[in-house]
Amino acid sequence: MMSNQVMNLDKSAVAVGRKRTKVSVSQVVAYVFLGLLCLIWIVPVIFGITTSFRSQTEVVSAGFRLLPVNWIMDNYTAILENTSTAPILRWLTNSVVIATSHTLLVVVVISLTGYGYARMKFRGRNVLFFTLLGISFFPGVVNLIPSYKIIDALGWVNTSWAMIIPGLAGMGNIFLVRQFMLGIPKDLDESAKVDGASDFRIYFSIMLPLIKPVLIVCALFSFTGSWNDFLWPVIVYTDVDKMPVTAGLLLLQDIYGNYRMIGQLMGSAILAIIPTLALFLFAQKYFVQSINLNSGIKG
Amino acid sequence: MKKKLNLAPVFFVGPHLILFLVFVVIPTIYGIYASFTQWNLAGSPNWVGFSNYSTILFDTTSTFHTQFFNGLKNTLLFVLFTVPPLIVLPLMIAVALSHKKLKGKTFIQSVLYVPGLISISASALIFTLIFNKQLGITGNVFGSTIAWATHQPYAWITIILLTIWGGIGGNMIIYRASISGVSEELYESAELDGAGPIRKFFSITLPSINFPLIYTFVMTTAGAFNVFGQPLMMTDGGPQQSTSVLMMYIRQLAFGSGESIAGMASAMAVLLGLVILVISALQYYVMNRNAN
Repeated sequence: MMSNQVMNLDKSAVAVGRKRTKVSVSQVVAYVFLGLLCLIWIVPVIFGITTSFRSQTEVVSAGFRLLPVNWIMDNYTAILENTSTAPILRWLTNSVVIATSHTLLVVVVISLTGYGYARMKFRGRNVLFFTLLGISFFPGVVNLIPSYKIIDALGWVNTSWAMIIPGLAGMGNIFLVRQFMLGIPKDLDESAKVDGASDFRIYFSIMLPLIKPVLIVCALFSFTGSWNDFLWPVIVYTDVDKMPVTAGLLLLQDIYGNYRMIGQLMGSAILAIIPTLALFLFAQKYFVQSINLNSGIKG
Repeated sequence: MKKKLNLAPVFFVGPHLILFLVFVVIPTIYGIYASFTQWNLAGSPNWVGFSNYSTILFDTTSTFHTQFFNGLKNTLLFVLFTVPPLIVLPLMIAVALSHKKLKGKTFIQSVLYVPGLISISASALIFTLIFNKQLGITGNVFGSTIAWATHQPYAWITIILLTIWGGIGGNMIIYRASISGVSEELYESAELDGAGPIRKFFSITLPSINFPLIYTFVMTTAGAFNVFGQPLMMTDGGPQQSTSVLMMYIRQLAFGSGESIAGMASAMAVLLGLVILVISALQYYVMNRNAN
């Protein structure tokens, strides 16, 4: 079935090409290549979504189908009713709380810190910045076990703090904000300084509005990064009611697993995907803009 | 110049500095220290010198030795199988998307980017179903009668496909931006000289995006060494621990169900960290030298 679709798509791509007066080979090659990839890339998502609307009997008896024979909502009602072993609404709420608070704090911390390293004058500023940057390249795997110990000492195991706070120490976003600020003309804040404005005032009224683009990008990536984090939550959460949804899905393999309740399994995965997907749909241009920031490292 | 100490920088830079000390510097130093100790994570560590390292590296009768080298081998296999496609495929997509007459670029880019926004645990659930013998695509569409997750090389293939599917987005976007920054005039003058698409790619595009290439190659490789979620979810390290990667052993030793062996796990973590550092440095050195 899939190979048929692939062939149809190839033909239609060629057909579209022929209608034009002049079609280069490279154009056809590009269309076929990208069309095939898109098809392969989108099938798993559609398969996951449609399977979540199929009954278990249909999944088992009819085998693979891209579209259900009967669309049913039973899987979703079953998922939502299970509040003991797999409280998915609880997990989603935890994830929303964690990712949102983490993101808001990231924006505060990186803008303040970025301002400090880009705009303020203090002794050893650049030495300090590049020392921290250098240390941050050290592989994170080494600090994993002691980080758990620190979280434990703070009493944060099985609390949202375990996922909200440690990530704020990262240097990547601060580097981006600092780079962005270095590109903003100095006259702006210097003339404000002459007028007697404090650093906080300059930061808040002049800089914050100007660095909004880079802050939005960092916020989006912080949110999706926090939402999708896997290794760390698997380590710091043992309490089923406290964990975020990514860690919860790991438990589902045992609960709905062995393919006895496939619809539920897929439905849970889909529910976990929706928030980041929705964010992407609303803020697509910022996600794609990030790249310019990345290549900006060149300069 | 000023007599009064200026405290404003402390307000701006201070909070992050404290966070950095508590969650990066201290745990990193402690992680290195712990690798020289016997430690159950609960009590205080006992200094044992290089004993953990000699056990891991040289004691062939020890399970830690077997686990470390099996985990390292599997991690290296994962890096070798996933990093080249995660560089080449996004590059090919970016080049195809740079074609002037192409329509629907934003849509294509979104479709290929979106899987990267899906958490490993969610996408692994879907991929496990896809590769399910009775119910999935491999069995019903391609007629495969093998349980992919429990047979090699299929177990690796499921892990690699999941990783490529979810991993091309970031690099694709970096390459697209870099390629769109290459001067049109270069291509036009090459066309006048009669250069074809392939020639243009190798003599103009590739050299022009040299820095993003090095950057993505180093970052993608370092990221791949930290692989954990895909094998855990898809194969749970099987069959016969043939997809058990180092991070899985480290987690299991430190946070597993039995008595924590955090000292040994820390030593493995430090060794993995060293491997990542050495490989990153080598990549940077070789690629930078070739470029100049």
